[in-house]
Amino acid sequence: MSASIATGPSGFTVNELAACVIAREIRDDDLIFVGVGTNGRAFTLAVGIPLTAARLAQLRQAPGATVYWGNLLDPDLSRMPDNLRQDSLTRWQAAACPADTGFKCDMLARSRFDVSFESAAQVDRYGNLNITAIGEYAQPSVRLVGCLAQPEHLAFVRKPIIVVDLDRRTFVEQVDFVTSVGHRVRGTPRSEFGLPGPGPALVVTDKAVFDFGAEGAMRLRSLHPGVSAEDVLSRMGFEPALPQGDIPVTQAPTYEELSLLREVIDPSGVMMRV
Amino acid sequence: MKNKLVSLEAALAPVQSGATLAIGGSLLRRQPNAAVRELIRRGVKDLTLLTWATTTATDMLAAAGAVRRWEGIYAGMFSHGLAPNFRRGVQSGAITVRDFSECAIVARFRAAAAGLAFMPVRSLLGSDMATRNPEQIRPMACPFTGDKLHAVAAAEADFTIIHGYAGDRYGNVQWPVVRDSDDIDQLMASGARRLIVTVEKIIPHEQVKAQPTLTYIPGQWVEAIVEVPHGAHPVACDSLYDEDEEHLRLYLDHAKTPDSMGSYLDRYVRTPRTHDEYLQASGAAARLPSLSVQQG
Repeated sequence: MSASIATGPSGFTVNELAACVIAREIRDDDLIFVGVGTNGRAFTLAVGIPLTAARLAQLRQAPGATVYWGNLLDPDLSRMPDNLRQDSLTRWQAAACPADTGFKCDMLARSRFDVSFESAAQVDRYGNLNITAIGEYAQPSVRLVGCLAQPEHLAFVRKPIIVVDLDRRTFVEQVDFVTSVGHRVRGTPRSEFGLPGPGPALVVTDKAVFDFGAEGAMRLRSLHPGVSAEDVLSRMGFEPALPQGDIPVTQAPTYEELSLLREVIDPSGVMMRV
Repeated sequence: MKNKLVSLEAALAPVQSGATLAIGGSLLRRQPNAAVRELIRRGVKDLTLLTWATTTATDMLAAAGAVRRWEGIYAGMFSHGLAPNFRRGVQSGAITVRDFSECAIVARFRAAAAGLAFMPVRSLLGSDMATRNPEQIRPMACPFTGDKLHAVAAAEADFTIIHGYAGDRYGNVQWPVVRDSDDIDQLMASGARRLIVTVEKIIPHEQVKAQPTLTYIPGQWVEAIVEVPHGAHPVACDSLYDEDEEHLRLYLDHAKTPDSMGSYLDRYVRTPRTHDEYLQASGAAARLPSLSVQQG
């Protein structure tokens, strides 16, 4: 974890780099789904980096981008709560708070969302995600939380972005339980299932960024500055496809991006603490 | 209109072992915990639970060995991690689970509310939720377009238990103007067969009548309404009080082993005879003023 928050020789943290990579993927007027997350590192990955990236995009190329968070449409990201106790969420100002979450489900199912963010205990070669159970489903070695709306994200959202740390336990050849469907499940290509959305677009980690290439297999898109391909491959349970020729380096944050992150968006550093 | 205001004991008396219960609330918010403690006190077992994002309600029932099966979108402890007792129950094979996505569980409750046996969804195509649950998730073709769909079975519960904000003696339950709406309590209520609602406060019927658009659960749907102030403790009732972090930590400390969790249940659930006694025993009573978030 310390590597994530340390400011490296290049002058930015891995979390700042991830937020900038994601922010550049957001277009003006995008509707962005951010989950509620938990605490510690899981909070940073599921909530902190996505909300920071959304705000950065709003302040740069995407002033019309909006976020759906909890059951709030367009919460005021210029006034993020400094804690996650219930009342801070209850009173967070927003444009809309639909009467129940069923409305959000309908918006998902009608493909109204452009971008979503995904955490997972397991991610496999084809971008299938598991947040449900490790081991055999009926009597698992680790029972996780369930499914939430993540299946809908991968089924319906235009550009789902997976945000996880690169780790052999997470990046597995085949997830134990397919909570959310990627580009191929046990040999069956996504196109045969009849899902309307295109499936996962990017995997942003603390070491590298991946996309999905031919046949929907995960492909190394860029290495973060100072990270070697060997290091990345040693942290994965399968070998991703590699780009032709030299592997690009993830574009570092600019001075302007870093200034916005540190001085405007999150000056007290609550969003990406770990 | 008929008076439906009864005691917690009387409201829950019809709930017997083996029942299927739909339980309202979401995450650390409006879990009907006082009702759950009453069921544990009575020794009700062998329950099937249908939930949205559940935390303490399901985890306490799991700790008491009262859960046979769970169906829902999430069972955990939100910012406090996984649900330890539920997790042990599933990992030991004692609790059978059937997972659903948010669209799928909404569809199941909408089917129940509409009096239909199923509702179609597209969300589960290719997912193991479907492959592992052929009884409740069945492939079907759209009769108009031929598109691939799943039929998901209606969420038919014997009893539905919800913790609400305020209501009158006739069972009309109202929500405040500013609240956290990230749940499906109203939908669950509309599809209920026998609906039991605990509320923070009983208010005069005159007050309800002045603002009928705030009534999200009409009395016609309700079998029993009970006044249980702080009935969601140790979780929050949005707009009224925050979650009790101190008690949640105490709960999770006890939840580390089945033995210590057993002592928790004895001390805080089975020994107190009433909800008031629970609030005293749990130390909540002393902390209530600091947990209040009421404005104006």
